[in-house]
Amino acid sequence: MLLAGGQGSRLMALTKAIAKPAVSFGGKYRIIDFALSNCANSEINTVGVLTQYRPYALHSYIGNGAAWNLDDPDGGISVLPPYATEKGGNWYAGTADAIYQNIWYLEGQDPKYVVILSGDHLYSMDYRKMLAQHIEHHADLTVSVMQVPWEEAPRFGILTADENGQISKFTEKPAEPDSNLASMGIYIFTCDVLIKALREDAEDPNSEHDFGNNIIPKMLAEGRRLFVYEFSGFWKDVGTIASYMETNMQLLGEEPEFNLYSKSFPIMTNAPTRPASLFGKEAKVDDSIVGNGCRIFGHVEHSVISTDARVGAHAHVKDSILLPGARVMDGARVENAILGENAVVEEGAVFGSAGEDTAVVGNDAVVKKGDE
Amino acid sequence: MERACGIITCNYSVTHPSALTANRPPASVPIAGRFRMVDFALSAMVNSGMRNIGLIMPTNYRSLIDHVGSGKDWSLDRKHGGLFLLPGSAFGSQRTGARFLIRDLEQNVQFIERSDKPFVILSSASCIFNIDLVELVDAHIASGADITVVCKKIDHEEPALQALTVDENDRVTSLHMGASYGELASLDLCVMSKETLLQAIAWGRGVDYLDLFEAMAEDLGRIVVRPFVYDGEAMAIFSSDDYYKCSMRLLEPDVVEKIFDPARPIHTKAHDNPPAKFLPGANVNNCLMAGGVRVAGTVQNSILGRDVIVEHGATVRNSVIMQSCVISEGAKVDHAIIDRDNTVAPRVELRGTPENILIKGRGF
Repeated sequence: MLLAGGQGSRLMALTKAIAKPAVSFGGKYRIIDFALSNCANSEINTVGVLTQYRPYALHSYIGNGAAWNLDDPDGGISVLPPYATEKGGNWYAGTADAIYQNIWYLEGQDPKYVVILSGDHLYSMDYRKMLAQHIEHHADLTVSVMQVPWEEAPRFGILTADENGQISKFTEKPAEPDSNLASMGIYIFTCDVLIKALREDAEDPNSEHDFGNNIIPKMLAEGRRLFVYEFSGFWKDVGTIASYMETNMQLLGEEPEFNLYSKSFPIMTNAPTRPASLFGKEAKVDDSIVGNGCRIFGHVEHSVISTDARVGAHAHVKDSILLPGARVMDGARVENAILGENAVVEEGAVFGSAGEDTAVVGNDAVVKKGDE
Repeated sequence: MERACGIITCNYSVTHPSALTANRPPASVPIAGRFRMVDFALSAMVNSGMRNIGLIMPTNYRSLIDHVGSGKDWSLDRKHGGLFLLPGSAFGSQRTGARFLIRDLEQNVQFIERSDKPFVILSSASCIFNIDLVELVDAHIASGADITVVCKKIDHEEPALQALTVDENDRVTSLHMGASYGELASLDLCVMSKETLLQAIAWGRGVDYLDLFEAMAEDLGRIVVRPFVYDGEAMAIFSSDDYYKCSMRLLEPDVVEKIFDPARPIHTKAHDNPPAKFLPGANVNNCLMAGGVRVAGTVQNSILGRDVIVEHGATVRNSVIMQSCVISEGAKVDHAIIDRDNTVAPRVELRGTPENILIKGRGF
């Protein structure tokens, strides 16, 4: 069950028109590619995607799931937006409520275990390993965790576990943490336990219907078997423009921590088929990644250039992200900036500058000369 | 436009076979970093609304089937119609110029008979273009011709293309192999009614001709053949020289704009290659770079296919490097076509000359 309904409001202009999981990332991907590729690479062939905020782009992007090998007759992908019933309709009120409202889907698919994921995290993870540990521990719930620096622990949901990994305590944003194992928002439930927990939670008028704040504490109180699964590797929840920028930039350089080039664990995508990118006679490209279908005639430095983007002659793009179809016209300068999809920086215009906050324009925006 | 079914013939050999076609038919020769030759004819048909297309397969069809699969990437995995992989005859044609073998068409006459569309568009798989076939069919209907052949006025020799002589009434009066300066060269792309094609096949069978156009050349008094002169970008590839010249032309921005017009995209098998990556110190200009490429060295006037790696201190100039090659540290490649899966060892130099392009067959 992939939670993909979030707005990602702190991504500002980037999520004005589309849900956060549909936001472009890393030159040719959309954020949801990572969770869907993890499912495919982990041989999970039944995936329900829960959508809510501005779902059109996301629905159309997911399609029948073929891009991630999820057009599988045995399960496959199901997009699950909020719906109305004879008693009226409700928006998804929290992570647990979203799953609860689709409990019929779980019952219909009738799996033994359910993996609950977030559609807006960037990471590569083999859920089979986590599931193997879940089964080995006869766990009711396994929570994927990462060690975070102690000083950052107060920003996370922190799990306290014994030496066998059995969880004794969950604290949301503890002022004085007694553990540095942070929940990644990735859960594996034994399905019948999940269904029971969701039903009880739905009955509870005081619940916020959230996995972290309600379901986990209640299961702990009931003495259920909850374990941590410790993940080490790259994982990011890009919540803000600053972290979106930083995570894109982390793809650059010689040995990036986040490897997009794995052959055994490929990142699959529904990006359009576009021709190879053209680099003109005067082009200069240094320390950057460039998607397909781009035309680069100017100077690109330490930047992420996505599918079909253009950089005109004598234009200079530095420390920036061009989302799909963005165009920097001849002689324009873009620095420390994010250009939304199909945004245009007109001839000779200047957008963004070093040392300030990253400048952002949304999809289809036009930056004219003199706007600065 | 669902007025025509399409047949793309892939069962022929090229004039000057080289290492590039040693293990694959001309239709599946990689081009422009991420495409195969057959993509252009196939995409033109699909972009014109055609959804019933047969590929006449060569004997060595492995790479072609691997590429087109069920036709999904061209939206040709349909309940009705879609992509049909049609059998070609055992040896194809060893002869220059025969691209529409009558015995291949005859063998697949059911495909033509079963089509419920009035017209058939025939194409070879050796030409790069982005032609709107709706215009072709409109012109064909308007002129009332039996057959309309797409051709281009050429400013160079095209020994592997058929030249058309046209009279003052815009009617083709003769056809001969080998087009030269100023002539109209056929792009191996034509439209005719289903009945005309079925009649031509029946007639050609009777007289034991090999090629459809060869059969027709004798009969231009009876059959009305008209040219459809295309003045857009079109490049035929029948030799490694053609291949190299065409590749270098594909580095010109205006050629790229025309051939890869986003309004009529060239479709190809989808691969989930990561974006191309340029490491600090990379030096690239006048290149075409496919996905998954990683460059730390220098690349100029070249095309790099998917997943090619150019290590630190390596130099690639005036070359075409196909998918998954590694140009190791300090190696130098100039005026060369390197087929897929080759590793050029550290500090090795592979050099051709402008007159004599070095060709390295695929590595294994």
